[in-house]
Amino acid sequence: MDELELLKKDWQRDALAYPQLSAKEIYPMLLKKSSSIVKLLFYISIAELVFWVLLNSVPFLFDSYRESFDNMTMNKSMFYGITAFTYLIIFVFIYLLYKSYKSISAADTAKGLMESILRTRKVIKYYVLYNLIFGGIFMIISFYYSINGNPEVAKQLELVQAEGKETIFWLATIGMLILALLVFGLFIWLFYRLIYGILLKRLNQNYKELKKLEV
Amino acid sequence: MLLIGTNLIKLTKELEHSFVEQLEKHQNIVHKVCRLYTNNQDAHNDLFQEITIQLWKAYPKFRGDSKFSTWMYRVGLNTAITLYRKGKRSINTQHMDDVLFKVKAEEYDDTEEQQLKLLYKAVHQLNDIEKALVFLYLEDKNYREISDTMGISEVNARVKMNRVKTKLRTILNP
Repeated sequence: MDELELLKKDWQRDALAYPQLSAKEIYPMLLKKSSSIVKLLFYISIAELVFWVLLNSVPFLFDSYRESFDNMTMNKSMFYGITAFTYLIIFVFIYLLYKSYKSISAADTAKGLMESILRTRKVIKYYVLYNLIFGGIFMIISFYYSINGNPEVAKQLELVQAEGKETIFWLATIGMLILALLVFGLFIWLFYRLIYGILLKRLNQNYKELKKLEV
Repeated sequence: MLLIGTNLIKLTKELEHSFVEQLEKHQNIVHKVCRLYTNNQDAHNDLFQEITIQLWKAYPKFRGDSKFSTWMYRVGLNTAITLYRKGKRSINTQHMDDVLFKVKAEEYDDTEEQQLKLLYKAVHQLNDIEKALVFLYLEDKNYREISDTMGISEVNARVKMNRVKTKLRTILNP
């Protein structure tokens, strides 16, 4: 007999060998909390939303930041427009996230389930990407304005100009800005690699395994 | 308002009752999934628990247009392959199949027992997707059902199944 047929025969004969649970033992299981990957992903998504909202709002709680904001020469109505836009985007993402979580179903096909989880993951990925890009642009703009309109900087600049070291001054400033952006980016990248790399490693592997068939 | 409330409670109780009744009847499907995807009793119980929760969560949407058992294959495998997070409990302490084999040793003649032991060992070396296919093969599912459960075409299911069988034979007869 073929080995696999032997296995099949044994597998089916084996059916009654498992210790059977009674209805009484099953009932309490329904009340237990799930520890599935989707649940964890959901908590992480919420944490990420909160993290970015806090990161954008917390500085305004400090007097010094508000003061420097008030001193900023940047157009105020433009700033409020940007803020409104930011919150609109947050609500759009919350809606998309809610919708894609709703579409995750354990009763889907194996491939369908993996795809809906990865889609959900993508929503968050795009949200983070949006934050990084927007944050980067905002950082450069506010940097420009704070240099341009700041009397302190103007005074410094005059001093440097008098010494003829203007180029070095600008190079150093831009270098510092790039360094800050890099460190910021690296930190975020590491953070996400760590969380999602570990969390979704198995899922990605299995999905790849299924996709391999379709070539 | 109170009436609606009591009716709702009654409905939930009924749903719960019919669910537990069916799960009790078909629980071997869950046990078998656990047997393939875990390698000790603690992990087995853990996965059984998670599959039960996932089944219960999905149950209100179960429409009965497929058989309860067919539906269980999907949810069970999905939980094992994708949803379940292997905790520290899956660290191997004692191999489940070893335990099972000790109990059943007398039923087999030596060579067959040896062969089966090697077979189960080989199955445990497969990856998650391959295990799912072997599981559906062992359960005598046809390619249409396999394709429905996995979400791949019937042709791909057939191709992949043949590959898995070849892989198993290679593990057994290197």
